[in-house]
Amino acid sequence: MVGLLALFVYPFLVSLYWSFCEYDLINPPRVVGLANYQQLASEFASGTGIAKALWNTGYYALISVPLSIVLGVSLASLLSCDIRGQSIFRTLFYLPSVIPVVAASILWMWLLNPTDGLVNSILGSLGLWKPQWFASPNELVSANAFASSAWANNATPIGSKDALILMSLWGMGNFMVIYLAAIGDIPKSLYEAARIDGAGPLRRFWNVTLPLLTPVIFFNLVMGLIQSVQAFTQIYIVSEGRGAPADSTLMLSLQLFLSAFQHLDMGYASAVAWLLFAILGVSTWLLFRTSRRWVYEGVR
Amino acid sequence: MPANPSMRSFLTITLALLLGTGLVTAQQWLSRGNHQVPTDREEVVFWHFWGGADRVIVEDVAQRFNESQAKYFVRPVAMPGNNLDLKFFLSVTGGDPPDLLNIDDPVIADWGHRGAILPLDEVASPEEVARLEAWLFPAARRLVTYEGQLYGVPNGLDIRALYYNQTMLDRYGLSPPRTIADLDHIAETIAPPGKSQPYDCHGYLPDSRRIWAWGPVFGGQFYDADQQKVTLTNPGIEVALAWMVSYRDRYGAAEIARFRHGDQSLPGKTFPLFADRYAVVMDGQWRVRDIRAFQKSQQEKGEPVTQFGVIPLPSPPDGKQNAGWVNGNNFVIPRGAKCPSGAWAFMQFWCGFDGHEAEAAETSVAGGWIPVSQQVVDQPAFQKFLNAEPMFRTFINLAGSDQQYPVPVIPGAPYFNNRVKSLAEQAMSSAAKPDLKQMLEEAQTQIQTHIDRARSQE
Amino acid sequence: MNWLQKSTVYALLLFLATIYSLPLLVMLSGSLKSPAEIQASPNQLIPDGWHWENYAEAITAMPFWRYLSNTLVLCVGSVLGTVISCSMAAYAFARLKWWGRDWLFAVLIGTMLLPWHVTMIPRFLLLREVGLYNTLGALILPTFLGDAFSIFLLRQFFRTIPEEVSEAARIDGLSEWGIYWRIIMPMSVPALITVGLFQFVAAWNDFSGPLLFLSNQDKFPLAYGLEQFVSSYSDQTHLLLAAATLFTLPIVLLFFFAQKTFLKGIATTGLKD
Repeated sequence: MVGLLALFVYPFLVSLYWSFCEYDLINPPRVVGLANYQQLASEFASGTGIAKALWNTGYYALISVPLSIVLGVSLASLLSCDIRGQSIFRTLFYLPSVIPVVAASILWMWLLNPTDGLVNSILGSLGLWKPQWFASPNELVSANAFASSAWANNATPIGSKDALILMSLWGMGNFMVIYLAAIGDIPKSLYEAARIDGAGPLRRFWNVTLPLLTPVIFFNLVMGLIQSVQAFTQIYIVSEGRGAPADSTLMLSLQLFLSAFQHLDMGYASAVAWLLFAILGVSTWLLFRTSRRWVYEGVR
Repeated sequence: MPANPSMRSFLTITLALLLGTGLVTAQQWLSRGNHQVPTDREEVVFWHFWGGADRVIVEDVAQRFNESQAKYFVRPVAMPGNNLDLKFFLSVTGGDPPDLLNIDDPVIADWGHRGAILPLDEVASPEEVARLEAWLFPAARRLVTYEGQLYGVPNGLDIRALYYNQTMLDRYGLSPPRTIADLDHIAETIAPPGKSQPYDCHGYLPDSRRIWAWGPVFGGQFYDADQQKVTLTNPGIEVALAWMVSYRDRYGAAEIARFRHGDQSLPGKTFPLFADRYAVVMDGQWRVRDIRAFQKSQQEKGEPVTQFGVIPLPSPPDGKQNAGWVNGNNFVIPRGAKCPSGAWAFMQFWCGFDGHEAEAAETSVAGGWIPVSQQVVDQPAFQKFLNAEPMFRTFINLAGSDQQYPVPVIPGAPYFNNRVKSLAEQAMSSAAKPDLKQMLEEAQTQIQTHIDRARSQE
Repeated sequence: MNWLQKSTVYALLLFLATIYSLPLLVMLSGSLKSPAEIQASPNQLIPDGWHWENYAEAITAMPFWRYLSNTLVLCVGSVLGTVISCSMAAYAFARLKWWGRDWLFAVLIGTMLLPWHVTMIPRFLLLREVGLYNTLGALILPTFLGDAFSIFLLRQFFRTIPEEVSEAARIDGLSEWGIYWRIIMPMSVPALITVGLFQFVAAWNDFSGPLLFLSNQDKFPLAYGLEQFVSSYSDQTHLLLAAATLFTLPIVLLFFFAQKTFLKGIATTGLKD
């Protein structure tokens, strides 16, 4: 217990202290009060630095987490149908999540090469658009994407963050197995009862599976949010370590890393970390508050 | 009935413990037999980023150094990957830095400013340092000078020039570009603008990151060292950027992004010049070796051999000749090094200063590196290499030019570097016509704020 | 289900499984191609010739067996550490009543929210003080002190065990330690296996730990060695893919054979709280 405190709580507090310091990792820290937070505020006000990072992180997290929940739940419920080869399918879907991030990122940069990557070759042979993926700072979820000009002349509004989201969906297997396990744990009698009431498969999913999954969905929502906001390695690799192209992949985690170890500004980096902490803390708290409305707590 | 569950879990844990201990023992046994430092020598721990084939060359240099004298023993530690600086900070915080470091990021000023690395004045006499300064190529000197002091020595320069595919140019009846207008002409001849289908090949497409090279070519300077002011808005830079952006206007942002990304240094990608994707490409001296290997493989397969050439970056009428962007791999000595004198001796040995020119020439030939001084270039071994490899001569001539500029050596350089690249990227990928003047002004203010802040911290 | 529904499910699954496995197949097939073939036809799935020597070359290009043995030490050690320490901590959080318990638990969960880049330096200094720098111990010892995620999982599970079980044991004269070791632990084997597997995979993939604490190549585990390999051989895709396949394969096999227990463990790890 003491060790736990030492290893987790001590670094926790030290970083809080640093966020009020000027610290370059070489010379001892010097207290500068709120300067780092003021810097954050001024960047936020002018829409540079941290503001961009916040936007990029939000875009990534708020799209990839819900999508991975939808995909994970659908896959898990498909897998729990009475079918053969379940364990093989299960393994196939789970596998990508254990591929080391370094290897996965390189693989995807290769697959998503705009000119002759596998994905675009397939899209091309189907006569579809060939997005620029990691080469473009565009965003699919934006007002601009509705303009027809965005899709004209071989152009697409799909860019680097969308590619990262795709990558994250590929690696959501570890969440899927949790859903799968939870579905396996739902008493068969409930389905029987529903069937007797004349409910079809979709209804059964909607009225039995989904409500009973909400606690697990909730857990995955919180964990997924934490994970996606803190995602670093893949972003570092695909962005040439600087948020390329045109700062479109400059996320909070990368911003933090660059300011700590390239700009030698650990104080500022700690302030970013605590901002991140505050955001995650508040959203987790909000989720817990609202969870009472939609998370099912019956049965047990 | 099997043994009761608690018994079983107890057994499992014991078994696992035994296995663990066994493995730890095996591991101890495996890790025996490490590098021995002779007792009468001082050890110099040397961290570097080279891996693969280059690592062998590095180890060979260290070995030759160890054999050449009896006082020091250099132990190279390879740390390929992007984490050399991180490791370095940890070692500094932990009070156990290496004796010598070789790094290719623009860190000299930041680290020097904060006292993390030693100025050479602290390891060598003023007379030696003065001689070293005169001995180095101007570009090499710029790379390691911060506020008038040398903070390291580069062991090799990275220089960019324009490679062209002669065979492909011939096909279109074109000759290698001498001016910017020539280059535009090549681009428009090989890839006529206005085509609706994606292009299969281009004459030339500018890489947004290379604004650092084109700026000086157009007579621009990114930074005024005397006034300590960022000067992105000076006319040369703006014209260079406008010229790069003219390719966006010609082909569209999407086409450029698509085509350019196809040839970044992704795994499995050859030099794009080989695949007839481009007629002209800007790249560094290491491609000379690739070109020769490619031609050799063509010969072996009995295919017609493609001809290549390399020339300095062409300039506009009022621009600068032999200008461009230079980078290098710099040796630096961390403050707190246990054996700075050994580090200094090894640096001299590798770079060829003070009587080691012949050795350094051999090393440069082996690695295909650009030496940092004319004196090394003049060595018979290197001259022989140049005669056998005329393409390399272009790079050597550029190394001696005084128009080769690195990213400004000032605190905050990494941000400066990235911000300028991202500015050019933004300009070239923007959907609407970008307002360059405003973008440059905005970036200038931001960089200025950042470097002022970095300089004020100590 | 009628046959129509069933075949729809199969079709959907097959389609999705193809998409999911395609990148892996590309990796596998690329690892068996010659360098020339990778460049010529990166998208052809069946290689023209089977270049098994890529694997031999990848293994000899790095101290593979050394890396592997380090990784195994790391995995076994940290799984042990996690299972022992987290189960104890989780027991304390779930079954014992003490002052400040819930408060401390909140702090523990809070530590998950802070990115490792800022906490790593104090952590680094701490472990360095203890003299663990550049030893595998620096990566194993912390797991003996627990980690938030596993404690959370196990706590949830322990809370699903009815309190009457402990009561009955207490009446039988068992100490608190006895209840933990003789009653709760044996009941929790699936949950412990789950936590152990999660930790095994995490240790197998751990990259930041070695990056911080290890500086001698002969102490590197595979994950870190692989990263170094990637940066030194970035132009030799066939070797990279072979190395990545070698790295992934053991985890694939582990999951394939352990999935039944694994799923059971997750299911019973009362995530439904």
